[in-house]
Amino acid sequence: METQAIYEKVVSLISPYVKKEGALQSVSHSTKILEDLGVNSARLVDIVLAFEDTFDIEVEDEAADSIWTIGDAVKLVGSKLNQ
Amino acid sequence: MALNFRQKIDLELQRSLASKFSVIEYFWMMFAFRFIYRFKVANVAEIRKRYRQIMNDKNRPVLICSNHLTLIDSVIQALVLNSNFGYLTRPKTFAWNFPERKNYYHKFYWRVLCYFGKCIPVTRGGSPEQSRLARDQMSYVVSKGDVLAIFPEGHRSRSGRVDTQEYSYAPGQFLQQIPGARVLCVYLRGKNHGGFADFPKKGEEIYLEMQVIEPSSELSGMRKARDLSSQIIGKLKEMEEEYFNHAAVGGQ
Repeated sequence: METQAIYEKVVSLISPYVKKEGALQSVSHSTKILEDLGVNSARLVDIVLAFEDTFDIEVEDEAADSIWTIGDAVKLVGSKLNQ
Repeated sequence: MALNFRQKIDLELQRSLASKFSVIEYFWMMFAFRFIYRFKVANVAEIRKRYRQIMNDKNRPVLICSNHLTLIDSVIQALVLNSNFGYLTRPKTFAWNFPERKNYYHKFYWRVLCYFGKCIPVTRGGSPEQSRLARDQMSYVVSKGDVLAIFPEGHRSRSGRVDTQEYSYAPGQFLQQIPGARVLCVYLRGKNHGGFADFPKKGEEIYLEMQVIEPSSELSGMRKARDLSSQIIGKLKEMEEEYFNHAAVGGQ
């Protein structure tokens, strides 16, 4: 799967949890999921579980803890898909 | 990541100082509770007896999970669950709390009160490292036989009711680190409490009910954390419904 396709899917999976209006319009790889998008930290777990279901991957707790930006999420999903 | 030597020493120092100075803090808090805010609680003796019974099983850690309506819920809870003498003789039953740093740590006297009141500040929405550090601190104090108190909703309820949508999975994550732990669900509210508020009303009559549950799940990892947390929130919601059902028939 292409990185751009992963990126678009990741953004679409995060978008239901975004609390800051308009934040998605300026989203990029360096966008911080909690701080910039206003996602509730508890919902980060739901997002990671959505990654698992959508991409058919398994994310360990430690790996999930490393997700801070959208770029981190894309990188993690990409690496899991390539395993 | 485990706590380093310095972090353990810091916590040990806080445990030791809090066990001595919390007596004075308790006295003044109770003074404010009774004579400034004029709060009243029904069945205090019964509540404290049950709390002592629950704490008698010293081999099984206890995590207190409460609903969250005001900024001083944890103070009220601590004052109601045990007497000053009770905490003096069994300081481990005086629960650790994990308040949001930005709410309580901007003023020096608040910081002092929180320090001696066994509080560890946390940053809501903080980095994964900060969350991990908080969990490691919790694990450390539990390993010493101490009790923890957290708010599984993760924030004060905006509606005055238990939030079953936007709750935290931290209790579930933490329960996975302490096998055999029991969860003491505490439902606390002022009988005249409305929606979102900083403090209970003066003269408020405080209602407190508690039930012990042992959440379990066949799932693993984050799904297990979510499942365990939802069981705790579900129990608090059930206790809330019991409260309002009872109130509807004039029982409260």
